[in-house]
Amino acid sequence: MPDSQPRLAPGCRWATHAEKPVVLYPEGMIRVQGTGQNILELCDGERTIQQIVATLAEKYAASEPDKIMDDVCSFLEGLRNKRIVDY
Amino acid sequence: MTPNPLALIAEITHRCPLHCVYCSNPLELAAVKDELSTSAWIDVFQQAGKLGMLHAHFTGGEPLARADLTELIAGACTAGLYTNLITSGIGLAEPRLRQLVDTGLDHIQISFQDSREDAANWIAGAKSHAHKIELSRVIRQYKVAFTVNLVVHRQNIDYLDEMISFIEQLAPERMEIAHTQYYGWALRNRAALLPTKAQLDKAVETVAAAEKRLAGRIRIDSVVPDYYARFPKACMGGWGRRLMLINPAGKVLPCHAAEVIPALTFENVRERSLEYIWQESASFQKFRGDAWMPEPCRSCDLRTQDFGGCRCQALLLAGDAATTDPACSLAPAHHIVEAAVAEANSNPAVSEFVSAASFVQLEQLTRNLWSYRKNPD
Repeated sequence: MPDSQPRLAPGCRWATHAEKPVVLYPEGMIRVQGTGQNILELCDGERTIQQIVATLAEKYAASEPDKIMDDVCSFLEGLRNKRIVDY
Repeated sequence: MTPNPLALIAEITHRCPLHCVYCSNPLELAAVKDELSTSAWIDVFQQAGKLGMLHAHFTGGEPLARADLTELIAGACTAGLYTNLITSGIGLAEPRLRQLVDTGLDHIQISFQDSREDAANWIAGAKSHAHKIELSRVIRQYKVAFTVNLVVHRQNIDYLDEMISFIEQLAPERMEIAHTQYYGWALRNRAALLPTKAQLDKAVETVAAAEKRLAGRIRIDSVVPDYYARFPKACMGGWGRRLMLINPAGKVLPCHAAEVIPALTFENVRERSLEYIWQESASFQKFRGDAWMPEPCRSCDLRTQDFGGCRCQALLLAGDAATTDPACSLAPAHHIVEAAVAEANSNPAVSEFVSAASFVQLEQLTRNLWSYRKNPD
């Protein structure tokens, strides 16, 4: 899992709606902001989950990378079940 | 100002090579001679993009029946819209698929009628099943997102488990288990299509197990049919709240079935802009918000979630578009839905599928069971 390389799933892409970032999927869209946006923007199919967590830990100067790992994994798993993110 | 719509449903033709008995198209289909031109549609997509709409859902009838489909998809892509093709796949071979994908098609949805070939062709009134399987294999070789849609009803729901396994082999990203909604041809054929409670309960268990098994691989979207729900569906996410539908002749509707409401007149893109129609037209304002609501909706906490249910269903079943959707257990006209459900449960019979040498013969053999969808003039 930490070595997985998440990316937006087929048929999902970024767009702007009402001047805010959204991710479009075949039948709708999700609004993304804050931490969720920061995570998703790093999901380029190249970075591993481990690298994403490290980037976020640095960005937020956080002292609990394990907690960040848990949060990122559960966030991504939710989106994977919706077929918005693949890894 | 009402917030702008999110998506455009482009019903580009009512022509269709299939005759599905559950079709939600209106019984009065738009004539071929009245269909909007290529340039009129492209202008519509431009307007939709400027209004900030996100998706263009291409549907019909069968969108592939229009020879200019690739141009229309290109027009929607240029306008910045996400393009979704909702199709039977009939009329699509690899060269045209390649063109569509190269043009920028984001997503394709193919509908299946059953996993059993003879049953699928019986429900569709056309020999289409084998082609759909072949096409699904080709689609997976292209960079386009893929959903398989399955409409379920009394005649196929007992095979849901098999059908889900069948779809799994086609390897889509998503599958939609769509219970028949009773409008248009489906309402006419309701007695043959409405499942029993026992069938439905088993289907709900089957879907739950499949969701668990396929998690992370195939997303399953499924909704309980409203005849068996306590509260009505939030039809179209609320009248004039999120979506605009344009029919083949350019009429702009808040939903697929709205033309059944006799008191309403709908504007046409040939005469008015989408923005005017969305913001100003009487038809889009008629049931927007909650000022129109009667009791029990008016004082119900759920009115901001289900918006009183479906106006067309209220008209079709209770004869009044401005009453609470009879699917709601609190509706004054709920007894109408209860009667249909009671009738469905009084006889659990399922029909044997039949094959025939021609469509005319098939119609004759099944005329006591259902009417197949016709084609427009």
